[in-house]
Amino acid sequence: MGIVLDKFPVVAKAVPGGQVLLTSTDYIVDLGRKYSVWPLTFGLACCAIEMMVAYAGRFDFDRFGVIPRPSPRQADLLLIAGTVTKKMAAPIVEIYHQMPEPRFVIAMGSCASCGGPYYDSYSVVKGVDRIVPVDVYVPGCPPRPEALIYGFMELQKKIMGMKLERGGGATAQAEKGSRDLTGEAA
Amino acid sequence: MKPDPVARLLAALPRAESAASPVKDYPTLRLAAPADILAAARILKDELGFAYLEMVTAVDWLGPVSLAGFVSSANPSPFTKKAPPPPVAPAAGAGIAYRPVLDMLWSFGNLQTGQKVFLRLEVPRDNAEVPSLTSLFAAADWQEREAFDLLGVRFSGHPNLTKILTPDFLKGHPLRKDYAHEKDAYDED
Amino acid sequence: MKTEEPLVSGPGLEMDTMFVNLGPQHPSTHGVLRLGLTLAGEVITKAFPDIGYLHRGTEKLMETRSYHQCVVLTDRWDYCSAMPNNLAFCLAAEKLMAVQAPPRAQALRVITCELNRIASHLIFLGTYGIDIGAFTPFLYAFREREMILDLYEALCGARLTYNYIRLGGVASDVDADWTAKCREFLEFFKPRLDEYDTLLSFNPIFLARTKGIGVIPKETAAAWGLSGPNLRGSGAAYDVRKSEPYCGYETYDFDVPLGETGSCWDRYFCRVQEMRQSVRIVEAALAALPGGDLMAKGIAKLPKPPAGEAYAHVEASRGDLGIFLVSDGGTAPYRLHVRAPCFINLAILQDILVGKKVADVIAVLGSFDIVLGEVDR
Repeated sequence: MGIVLDKFPVVAKAVPGGQVLLTSTDYIVDLGRKYSVWPLTFGLACCAIEMMVAYAGRFDFDRFGVIPRPSPRQADLLLIAGTVTKKMAAPIVEIYHQMPEPRFVIAMGSCASCGGPYYDSYSVVKGVDRIVPVDVYVPGCPPRPEALIYGFMELQKKIMGMKLERGGGATAQAEKGSRDLTGEAA
Repeated sequence: MKPDPVARLLAALPRAESAASPVKDYPTLRLAAPADILAAARILKDELGFAYLEMVTAVDWLGPVSLAGFVSSANPSPFTKKAPPPPVAPAAGAGIAYRPVLDMLWSFGNLQTGQKVFLRLEVPRDNAEVPSLTSLFAAADWQEREAFDLLGVRFSGHPNLTKILTPDFLKGHPLRKDYAHEKDAYDED
Repeated sequence: MKTEEPLVSGPGLEMDTMFVNLGPQHPSTHGVLRLGLTLAGEVITKAFPDIGYLHRGTEKLMETRSYHQCVVLTDRWDYCSAMPNNLAFCLAAEKLMAVQAPPRAQALRVITCELNRIASHLIFLGTYGIDIGAFTPFLYAFREREMILDLYEALCGARLTYNYIRLGGVASDVDADWTAKCREFLEFFKPRLDEYDTLLSFNPIFLARTKGIGVIPKETAAAWGLSGPNLRGSGAAYDVRKSEPYCGYETYDFDVPLGETGSCWDRYFCRVQEMRQSVRIVEAALAALPGGDLMAKGIAKLPKPPAGEAYAHVEASRGDLGIFLVSDGGTAPYRLHVRAPCFINLAILQDILVGKKVADVIAVLGSFDIVLGEVDR
C-alpha cells in the first residue's frame, strides 16, 4: 500500500486531468486515516490515568475509531501521556522509530509539552518535542479526557490536510523539529 | 507490655545518647560510630521485635541548597523572548549549625506494638561509609541503593550497590546540597 | 523391547538461559517499569526490576519551593490517590509548625482520603482484571470511579491532582448538596461491591490465575518492608490508621481486613474488602461532620516553620506513606524524604519471582498495585 500511495502522485500527474483524481484520492485516503487512528497503549505518568478514562465507558474514545494497540508496529499515534524523563527519552525515540509511517504524536499534559511543574528538574526532558516531533499539544495538568478528545479532533483536522504528493504528511517537518514554526506544515 | 527500645539500646551501646534534636514525637537515638548501627539493629530486631525497617535516608547538612543543581535555563519558546525570573534562593536558617556531615537516619518499626524508633548517625561527607543492613533486613536493599544514588553514602557489605533512580549518564548525587547539574544531551541552553 | 527413557536432565542437556526484557513500554507494567528476567525454559531464574524511568527529582525540587508549592508536587507521586499524599506532607509540616487542623477540616480530610482509597482500589480492580485477561471489570470500575471524581470536581475543581488538603486545613467546604450526592454515591456503590465479587473475585479463571500464586509469608513480607494491602494480605495486622491514628481515625469504627496466605488473590481481596470499610468510614464521617472553621489560624502565605525535624505517616491507598521533613527555618523545606510504599513494595519482586513461571509475572506484578510515580518520585 505504501508503494502504491508513494508512486500514485507521479502517475496521476502524468495523465491529463490527473490533479482532480489526486485530490479526490487524497480525500478518501485522509478520511480512512482520520477515522482509524490506532494509538499505542503507552502511559508514562499521571496523564495516563486520564487517558485510560478516555478509553473507558463514559468518554468512549472508540467512537473515533481509536483502538489501542499494544505494539508500536501496529500503531499510528504515539500518545505521550506524562512526564518524559531523561532515562525514558531513549526508549521513546526507539518506540517512535518502530512505528510505521505516517505516524502522529500527541503531547498530552504540560510535562510532555514543556516540562510542566518539573521545569527545573535535573532528570526531566523539558518537552517531548526535543526528542520527537509533535503534532498536537494538549495543555493541562492533567488534561481532562474531553481535552484529550479535543486534541485528537485537532489531529484529525490535521490529517485531513495531508496530501499524497507532499509525502510524509503531518510529520513532514520531522527533520526540522516541530519547534521550527517557519516550516511549511505548521 | 511495650518494650522500651531507648533504655535497652542505651544500656547496650554506652557511647550512644538520646538525640539533642529528636524527630518530633518519636524516640530518637544518636549513635557514636558507624559500627554501632549493626549492633543496634540486631538488638532491635532480635530482642525487641522491631523487625520492620521503615526508612533509611540521610540529610546533608552542608548549607542551603546550591542553585547550580537546577536547570535554570529558559525554556526556549518561539512565542516568548523574555527569560523567566531566576528561582528564589531559599533563605538560610538562623541558629542552624551547618557542617560538612551527612546525618544518617534509620527508622525501625514494631508491627505488634506500633512503636517506632529513629537512629541517627553523623558521618563525614567525603567518603561517607556506613555498614549495610541488608544482612538483617531485606528492605534495606533498595533503600540503601536509593541513598547511595541520591546522596552518595556507601554502604559496606551491600551486595549490589548500584544506581537505582537516576539515569546512568547523570554524574554526582543530586540530593547533596552542593550538587551542580552538568549539561547533558537533553538540556538545551 | 524396552524403550529407552528420554533424558530430561544430565550432562549435555543443560538448557541455555534466555533473557527476556519486559518494558519499559509494556501494557501490563502499569507505567514505565522495566523487568529483566532470566529464564531457564519457562522458569525464572533471576529477576531484576529496573526503575527510575519516571524519576522526576521531586525531593530536590522541593528544596527550593515554598511549603504551599510543595503540596502541588506531592499530588504527582501517587497520582491514583493524591489526597493521602497531600495529607502526609501537610501533617509533617503542621507538626513542625505546631498547628492542628480544625475538627471540620479533619473530618473532611478523612472523607476525601477514604473516597480516594475507593477510587484508587477501583483502578486496581479494573487494571488487574485486564492484566489477567478480563476486560469487563475495567469498564464497571471506571464507571464508579467517575462518580467519585465528579464529587471531587465539585469539591475542588480537579479530577486527579487535587491540592485540596492544605497546610492547616482544607481548601474548600462541602455543602448539603455535596453531602447528599456523596450519600447517594455510597448507596449506589454498596451493591456494586457484591457485583464485583460475582464478576471477578470468585470467577474460576481469575481464581486459578491468582490463588496460590506469588505467596508471601508474613515474616518475609515484614522483612521486605511491605505495607498496606500487600502486608495485610499476608496476615499482618498493621494499619497506620489503627497503630498511630491521625485526623481522628480513632473515633471511627472500622475493621482491618486481612488475607490468609499472602497470595495474589489475598492481596486483591484485601483491597476489595477495604473498599467496604472505607464506605463505612465515609458514612460515619458524613453523619458526624462537625461545624466550624476549615483552616487553622495563623498559617502564613510564606510559612517559615521553626528549625526541626518531623516525621508523619499516613495509611495511603498503597501502604504506609511517610514524610520526613527537615526545616532550617527557611521558606523551603531543607530536606524532604518520602517513604514511598510502592518503592519499597516493589523491591520484593526480585525475590519472589525467582522460581515462578513466566506466565505468572504479570499476575504477581499486578497484585502489588504499584504506581510508578511513587516508585520513582
